[in-house]
Amino acid sequence: MASSSSSSSRELQKELEAKANDLSKIQKDISKNHQVRKKYTIQLGENELVLKELDLLNEDANVYKLIGPVLVKQDLAEANANVKKRIEYISAELKRLDSTLQDLEEKQNSKKEAIFKLQQRIQAGKAKA
Amino acid sequence: MGEPVKGTVTSLSSIFAPEDAQKASVHVQEVISERQKEVQQLQAFLNDNTSLVNLVKKLPDQLHHDIMVPFGKAAFFPGKLIHTNEFMVLLGEGYYAERTSKQTVEILKRRGQGLESQIESLNAVIKDLKFEASFFDETATEAAEGIVEIREDFVEEAFDEDKATTSGDDDFARILSRIDELEKEELESELAEEGEEKEEADEADIEPEFRNLEIKELLDIPVSKDSHIKVPTPSGSNTPVMPVDHNILKEGLSHAPMSRDEVEVSTLVSSSSNVSSKTRVAASSSSNASSKTSVPASGPSNASSKTSVAASMSKEVSNFGSRSSNDKAFTGSIVEHTHNIENSQKGQTSAPAPTPASKPVSRFKLQRK
Repeated sequence: MASSSSSSSRELQKELEAKANDLSKIQKDISKNHQVRKKYTIQLGENELVLKELDLLNEDANVYKLIGPVLVKQDLAEANANVKKRIEYISAELKRLDSTLQDLEEKQNSKKEAIFKLQQRIQAGKAKA
Repeated sequence: MGEPVKGTVTSLSSIFAPEDAQKASVHVQEVISERQKEVQQLQAFLNDNTSLVNLVKKLPDQLHHDIMVPFGKAAFFPGKLIHTNEFMVLLGEGYYAERTSKQTVEILKRRGQGLESQIESLNAVIKDLKFEASFFDETATEAAEGIVEIREDFVEEAFDEDKATTSGDDDFARILSRIDELEKEELESELAEEGEEKEEADEADIEPEFRNLEIKELLDIPVSKDSHIKVPTPSGSNTPVMPVDHNILKEGLSHAPMSRDEVEVSTLVSSSSNVSSKTRVAASSSSNASSKTSVPASGPSNASSKTSVAASMSKEVSNFGSRSSNDKAFTGSIVEHTHNIENSQKGQTSAPAPTPASKPVSRFKLQRK
């Protein structure tokens, strides 16, 4: 009886450890997600700034794009379209990140709950023993 | 002491451990210093930007500038800056635009504005955080001092003063009641101002009525002047609540009896009119102003006179009651009012500081305001 209870408690302990590992993985993912999101939001802000400035430019203004070490002359309309496309892409990316973040947080919560239940079971087992 | 339990007393330190509050405050302080660093960085950017604006403004003043051109990491060689009105401005994301000095300055100014708005919002955040920190600090010290929080449900029907002294009311409810009360007071003082004008107008109409009554009394009963003057006191038993209204009532009442006839009455006053009977009259008229109940006579010798006095007085009072209710419509609210005031005062004295912590959010909001 005593041996069986100790073995079951050991199993529970193992399960708990595995769950804790999963949880920490999820948390890492979440923090990574946050970092990426931060980067994208900054880029979005910069792009919006550029778009605003491009809108303010005259039609005949010379616009260049820095590609590697060289400045390449670009059409204003083309540059404008490029920036708009980039903004679209970034916002889509942000949305995607949001949904994944939500997913991750749900997973995290369920894992936390599972761990809490396991801990309670372990406590109960200890109390019995 | 045998009374049933009305509320709960919890020491503040059991809800918010002083160490925890201290920790929270320290944490908030850290966040504040972080934000302040950010503000400093932004401020540095802003300063760079303004100096750049100045330089860009100055450059086209001359056709060319003699400068030292950086060459590699440590070397410089003399050179000349020409085309001083042509700028290649980085718009961000690798996009450059050719601009003149003026146009460049405009772009830079727009960027400066963006920076300023960022600094402003950060400062607002810091202000909020500082309030939060001070709140945590206060809670910590209060908890450390061993202040207790007293909670009790407020029972309106079974209210009396003894209870009020022992009741530490809920902080939030207290504030609400205080606000209600202030609003009512404001409303009433407005109404009273209006009423005052009306009252003056009414006085002329009502005074003759009084005079008739008084003359009748003068014929068969010696009435003391005091008893008349006391009339306002009972009817104005709500004085603490509305000093303004009371004054008006008093004015109105004491004006009428003080008329010419009344002076004569006072000269006729005999010493037989005793104080106790007068006070009883006052009491009865205060308890039920509009009813015509006669007052139990204390002195058998002038029992009839007293009842008539009471009747006349209650008539007067009822007059006033009807008048004031017509003019001001505050009679209903008064009773509840007095409770409120007493309650709030008592609540403040019995439970001075601890309760705030029971409603951290509301307190915090209050402070922010």
